[in-house]
Amino acid sequence: MYGWIWRHLPGNAWVRALISLLLILAVVYVLFQYVFPWAEPLLPFNDVTVDDQ
Amino acid sequence: MAATTDHGEQHEERHAEETDEASASPSPQSSPSPQSPPAPRRRGTGRLATAVGVFGELLITAGVVLGLFVVYSLWWTNVLADREADEQGDKVRDTWAHEEGGKPAEFDPKKGIGFLHVPTMSKDEILVGKGTSTKYLNDGIAGYYTDPVKATLPTSGKDGNFSLAAHRDGHGAKFHNIHKIKKGDPIVFETKDDWYVYKVYAMLPETSKYNVDVLSAVPKQSGRKKAGKYITLTTCTPVFTSNYRYIVWGELERVEKVDRERTPPEELR
Repeated sequence: MYGWIWRHLPGNAWVRALISLLLILAVVYVLFQYVFPWAEPLLPFNDVTVDDQ
Repeated sequence: MAATTDHGEQHEERHAEETDEASASPSPQSSPSPQSPPAPRRRGTGRLATAVGVFGELLITAGVVLGLFVVYSLWWTNVLADREADEQGDKVRDTWAHEEGGKPAEFDPKKGIGFLHVPTMSKDEILVGKGTSTKYLNDGIAGYYTDPVKATLPTSGKDGNFSLAAHRDGHGAKFHNIHKIKKGDPIVFETKDDWYVYKVYAMLPETSKYNVDVLSAVPKQSGRKKAGKYITLTTCTPVFTSNYRYIVWGELERVEKVDRERTPPEELR
């Protein structure tokens, strides 16, 4: 999978490494900005109130 | 790698894949360099090896994503919440300062009614606002209960329970060190005009999340039977989970007027 991506990136090894880094940063950004905030309330880790339901 | 599997198949597009795998697989040649053209090797190992490889990569990816989620929950949400809480806290103090000058600003309990100081738990002040919805508490605020049991605000002057909730971990983690609070420790609630000094008299290190009785006007579980001015802090426990709730009760000891310099009461000095 990652090998496939690596082979399909343009340029030499340095250019590929740079593009890979940018891709990783983009993925981390999407995770932190959209995916995790969405997933967090669905997980039972952070309920702090007492509640009768 | 499943080097023994031999499907005896060969497809044109496979050559591309084999180029990179050549270095990882056993090769009949003595010393193949990774940059050399594809070395002759047993055909057909590729398909299963690729499947296993992709599966492995997915597992690694899942592990990294979970690790990132931990970083997100325990660090990044704190960064965001602290920023938000500081900003809102500054606004509340600005409003207070301006009210001194003349016209009172519009009172909005959502924007914060005061600050909580618990020196044994945290050296920072904690902004207190109305409501305990997750979205609201995520801004690094301690919310006072409106549901299921409505909190009695100390500013009302009535007997009752000033019940608060805040996060133990992530989102500011304002009540993270709640377990450090001991009997007799002060809890000070600061409003525009007054310091409300409470003294902790009971803790409940673990209770069910359905135990709403801890919020009642006279919290019987704390050992008190008579009406009085109480404060209740609730958060989740053990740390990093929310299986149970941790409760701390305090009782109002005295009220001090805020002076011109906002000199804190002796408990905070």
